[in-house]
Amino acid sequence: MIGITFAIFMCSAVILSLALLATRGSSVQRELAFRTDLPPYDESLGHPSLCPPEFAARIFSPIDSTFVAAEKSRELVRLFHHERRVVALVWIHQTKTAIHRIMREHTRATRQSADLNLLTEAKLLSHYVQLVAVCDLLILAIQATGPARVGTLASYAASLSQSFADAQHALAITNTARDLRGASPAH
Amino acid sequence: MISRSIWLVSIALELLLVTRAYQQNLIRRYPMFFTYISFVLLTDLLMFTFHFPQTTYLYLYWITEFLGLVLGCLVFLEFYRVALNPYPGTARMARALLAILFVVAMAKTIISTANVPRWWFNVSPAQVEGLLRVCQLLAILALIVLCLFYSIPFGKNLRGILIGYGLFVCWSVVCLALVAAGVARYNTLWSYTFPLSYLITLVVWTVHLWSFQPNPVPDRTIPLEQEYQRVAAATQRRLHDARGYLAKAVGS
Repeated sequence: MIGITFAIFMCSAVILSLALLATRGSSVQRELAFRTDLPPYDESLGHPSLCPPEFAARIFSPIDSTFVAAEKSRELVRLFHHERRVVALVWIHQTKTAIHRIMREHTRATRQSADLNLLTEAKLLSHYVQLVAVCDLLILAIQATGPARVGTLASYAASLSQSFADAQHALAITNTARDLRGASPAH
Repeated sequence: MISRSIWLVSIALELLLVTRAYQQNLIRRYPMFFTYISFVLLTDLLMFTFHFPQTTYLYLYWITEFLGLVLGCLVFLEFYRVALNPYPGTARMARALLAILFVVAMAKTIISTANVPRWWFNVSPAQVEGLLRVCQLLAILALIVLCLFYSIPFGKNLRGILIGYGLFVCWSVVCLALVAAGVARYNTLWSYTFPLSYLITLVVWTVHLWSFQPNPVPDRTIPLEQEYQRVAAATQRRLHDARGYLAKAVGS
């Protein structure tokens, strides 16, 4: 027998997703006309919308904080912490936006791929979910303790997002090559 | 009186939907969906016109209800076929996800019924239909989530079919759960909500399927074009580097 709570929960989920589907008309048009304005992917620099990992290491490094603390000016330390927190939060938001963008590019490319690998897709999705969760965790941690104490987590997020971008790019090239091979006439 | 009025309006809307589909040549594009609507229209006309004895009516009701459920599954399959035809990658993901859902549902049913001896004698048709509708709802939810995740564009017709059918199955699940729990009884307010939900569904379908609207076609050249640009930029950079090394080598 179906429980009333379960039925209501299921229906709410379906109605919510149907509402999303119904209000998606304009975004579909945007999606169809989607052309990236980012510079082309460069293997040595990584994904163009992601900040380099060194940048993250610098923001979250305690070296600058120690240096400012040595100046013995309370006002300067306060200002430094405030600015650093803002920069760190901006970095996380940029990273999150870049991850969403990479995933969007990926889904756009793979939805038409005839032989996509389910396991690779599942792995990529789990990386994506993990990254988004790490970014959200970082936001909370920065708000609570400041950027200097979450350096390890931030470098982990930076390297994970870079490898995520690289993996997506490699997958996109493989899919394109497969599609081209599939599209070429048989000899 | 209220239920008969709702019934009559529903028949009129079904008739309008089928007539419009015939005029607009939509029957050829969505054959399963219009088979389903025609089937419901015929059973509605049959049940509305003739007054059957209660037992015959009960049998007839459940037979048509289950046939409608099977046809509804075929409508869902048609939607899947038409919407995901230009997207083989998403279609493959959908097949995998639906197979997983089917296996999980089967396993859960087997486990929960294995401990109940002769469960098939005690179970009511409403409970069986409820379980099947939940499976259908799960499949619809999985497909919507996939379509949203992969940004699959739909035309007005397909979107209307999915939204209407999704709403109808949603309310069926709630009503069947309430019937099974003994909350919804004959001639109470709850009993009117089910035909009313079907009426809303019919309005959604009539609005969305008034005329043919083609599905947006994805432009396959965009990713390739972008890929070429990327490859060209990388090659240009490497050529530039190589020229630098060559100049250095010649200079030394």
